[in-house]
Amino acid sequence: MTTLAHFQILASLLFVIGLFGAVTRRNAIVVLLSIEIMFNAANLSLVAFWRYSPHPEQLSGVMFAIFGITIAAAEAAVGLALVIVIYRYYKSIEVDGMRSLKG
Amino acid sequence: MDTAFIILSLITVAGAVWAVTLRNLIHAVLSLVLFFFGIAGFFFYLNADFVGWVQILVYVGAVAILAIFAVMLTHNLTAEDEPGFFSLRWLTGMAIAATVGAVLWFAIRSNAAMSQTAPAGVASNVADIGRKMMTDWVVPFEVVSLLLTAAMIGAIVIAMEQISHRK
Amino acid sequence: MEPATHIPWIASHLWLIPLLPFLAGGVSALLPRRCRKLSAGLAIGAIGISTLLSFCALAESILRGLLPHAGRQWSAMQTHEAWHWLTEFTWFSYGTTSLKLGFVLDPLTAAMATMVSFVSMLIFIYSLGYMDRDKNFTRFFTFLSLFAGAMLGLVVANNLLLFFICWELVGVASYLLIGFWYHRPSAAAAAKKAFIVTKLGDIGFFAGLLWLYHATGTLQFYTPDHTGALEQATALAGLPGIMGLSLAGTIALLIFCGAVGKSGQWPLHVWLPDAMEGPTPVSALIHAATMVAAGVFLVARTYPLFQASPQVLTLVAWIGAFTAIMAATIAIAQNDIKRILAYSTVSQLGYMVMGLGVGGMAAAMFHLLMHGFFKALLFLGAGSVIHGCHNEQDVFKMGGVKKHMPVTFWTYFVGTLALAGIFPLAGFWSKDEVLTAAFNWGGGWFHKGPFALGCIGVFLTAFYMWRQVCLVFLGEYRGEKATVGHKQVGHEEAETQHETVPGVPHESPAVMTVPLVILAIFSAFMGFSGLPEHANLIHHFLSPEHAPHHVNWFVIATASALAFAGLGVGHLLYGVKPLAADEPDPLKAKLGKLRDFCRDKWYWDELYEATVVRFANIAAVVVDLGDRLLDGVTVGMGLLARGLSFINDKFDEHAINRSFDGSCGTVRLMGRCFAALQDGRVQSYLRLVAVAAALLAFWFFLK
Repeated sequence: MTTLAHFQILASLLFVIGLFGAVTRRNAIVVLLSIEIMFNAANLSLVAFWRYSPHPEQLSGVMFAIFGITIAAAEAAVGLALVIVIYRYYKSIEVDGMRSLKG
Repeated sequence: MDTAFIILSLITVAGAVWAVTLRNLIHAVLSLVLFFFGIAGFFFYLNADFVGWVQILVYVGAVAILAIFAVMLTHNLTAEDEPGFFSLRWLTGMAIAATVGAVLWFAIRSNAAMSQTAPAGVASNVADIGRKMMTDWVVPFEVVSLLLTAAMIGAIVIAMEQISHRK
Repeated sequence: MEPATHIPWIASHLWLIPLLPFLAGGVSALLPRRCRKLSAGLAIGAIGISTLLSFCALAESILRGLLPHAGRQWSAMQTHEAWHWLTEFTWFSYGTTSLKLGFVLDPLTAAMATMVSFVSMLIFIYSLGYMDRDKNFTRFFTFLSLFAGAMLGLVVANNLLLFFICWELVGVASYLLIGFWYHRPSAAAAAKKAFIVTKLGDIGFFAGLLWLYHATGTLQFYTPDHTGALEQATALAGLPGIMGLSLAGTIALLIFCGAVGKSGQWPLHVWLPDAMEGPTPVSALIHAATMVAAGVFLVARTYPLFQASPQVLTLVAWIGAFTAIMAATIAIAQNDIKRILAYSTVSQLGYMVMGLGVGGMAAAMFHLLMHGFFKALLFLGAGSVIHGCHNEQDVFKMGGVKKHMPVTFWTYFVGTLALAGIFPLAGFWSKDEVLTAAFNWGGGWFHKGPFALGCIGVFLTAFYMWRQVCLVFLGEYRGEKATVGHKQVGHEEAETQHETVPGVPHESPAVMTVPLVILAIFSAFMGFSGLPEHANLIHHFLSPEHAPHHVNWFVIATASALAFAGLGVGHLLYGVKPLAADEPDPLKAKLGKLRDFCRDKWYWDELYEATVVRFANIAAVVVDLGDRLLDGVTVGMGLLARGLSFINDKFDEHAINRSFDGSCGTVRLMGRCFAALQDGRVQSYLRLVAVAAALLAFWFFLK
């Protein structure tokens, strides 16, 4: 039988894969996609918690997941739009090239 | 562990790993689509049908397409100068990922509630979700709708600025 | 405690009082600049409704507190206990504890809210006239509304955290309003100074707040089950704190730091006179009538903590007395009409703090309320004079204004007598209460000190106020009658004023004089609410559990005699023979060097320059050295040398500039070291975040 721990370990693994991509890849699009992977891992974890919770009728995990998906969609839209603008401006989407955050 | 769980796990993990490692960006996005389908499969498996459909609609239908557009609009089909497997960059990333993973593993392992099995008869139907969303969750619901509007306007404004610059 | 069923409507809707001005401020912040009438109307309407609600609250409180006993002997009230009407709500909860905020309606709240909202309303109306020509009229009313909302929120709060939030909002509003004419360097500097100096006190306040939460587990002042922070004061008095004080004493001392900053007590009084750079209605509203009273109100609100520690009360009394006398001596030698009033405010706040210190909470609050009326009156009167004299602020360039501005003169006259403490105006009764409380404080010469200082202060107060009246209103006009136009004090101020016949003072419009008249009436008659002994309604209302003082004819006679003596000496020096233009201050001949000492404000600014600012500069060097030693691998020796020479350069600049920039410099230098961590790459930030989160989680598990 599948236990809650299986789901959580799987979600952790996916989250860690996403994190690895986000800190390693130089291409801004891939970084954004990695962040989407992390979002999905978190949603998987939330829904699994809901499935195994003592009060599933509260639907808390499901609600969190739905809102998470919504916010991730908004983030992806703005993020990818920014990537396009950055490309037009720098002619490159290498994240290492963007250093104007430096104080 | 049953067969469905194992198959879905393989699909999602493979999709995720390919998505973050493949050089060809189009291939990476397609792996990501695979990953999104896997996650949606998990949602169905967990009786959260509605979330599963939303996942497919939003991620596969919108985010992945958006990503492909972004790849094509930036003329950046392959990431040429990504570092190699044993570069310092990859090793650092792996070390960080391993650290975080160890913490998560430790947290999951030290929690007794994690070993429970799934209770029967847990399901979510759309009517309940809709009712909840309009009662207990109405404030987050409105806030999220505001956020979506803001994101939409923001994306348009960013694009329009570019158009006016080109004139 | 009243059972929950008896809570009247107003007590459970107390939050409306601060909310309305906040809303008005929020809406007018969004209005375009041209909507002048709408924004002013919103602000005045909101504060007007708040005033009505405050009056409702006051009426309910009076019904609850005084009337049940009206038919009986007054003495029956002496054993009556304190009461509060509470409403509370949960802000958020974490785990099993929740952070509750709430509002309280008790006599203190009712009296303070009424005074604050009423005076604010009059000042709002007055501002219509005063700021008439200013192009940032809308912004001004936005800030005023923000201020009024924060101040009223502070008054009705039943929670030290909510109190602190509003307290800081009041500070922000004050900063914005002092620096309203921000393009004028002196105004910008004054705003910065006010903000930083009061923040010094707020550090203490915040530490006290945290400590109180740690010790009692709650920040509610009162709770329905009597476990509020203040209701545990006696228990705290039994626990040890620092420096030999009890825990209650330590917390009280820390909270008092906040009050010292906000109420301009020595040694943090230096910001208040500089704050007069703001528009005059702001000076009246914030730096005379309401905001500076917040510190006194804070002490009155947390008074149980202070009562539990006699040592802290002694310190409070002495600081108050010292401030009262020091500021009064400075006030006698100032030339700027607003600065005289500013130092007078510092001095009167000293009286209030002294009253708190000697155990007369009701007396101090009485003086606060009365002072709110007559000091607002004086400031608005001063504003009217400045307005009428074409932005002249130097009293030696005025004179004879009486015949040009009769309404302003007579109202100012009433305010002067009230402040000087002349029978039967408001200041007489309230100052008498404070002095009687000081007189009755303990035995021995040490405990008579504040009383003696207070009495000298009475003489000085009467003197400097009469000096001002003589110089401004009597005699002949000494302004630049011959020259065409007016002095160009600043473009903005020039824009605010009416272009009439140059050189001759003129009366202000009705929108400015009517508030003056109303305030004058209040200043004249409100004092009767606090007649000594059994008829002392204010005392019975505010502090029902303590008996009022008996009439002390010695105190009354001494104070009145000294006040008349002050007026008399002032008249001898300035009134008998009116000064001609360019004639020096006759005080110079009489006091010599002592006058210079007073005129230069006891050299406090210079002292802080030589000590605090220099210390901050040295500390900046030391801290920087330490940081660089730790960071030595990445920051080479060359950079070190460069940094040191940079600091040397800065050090010279600051020693010459004589500003508070030194402390900012420390922060900047530390920031420079941390900047090494920030290479501008998002991914390195992300790496840091991930590692830090993992380490934190590990630490959490292992603990």
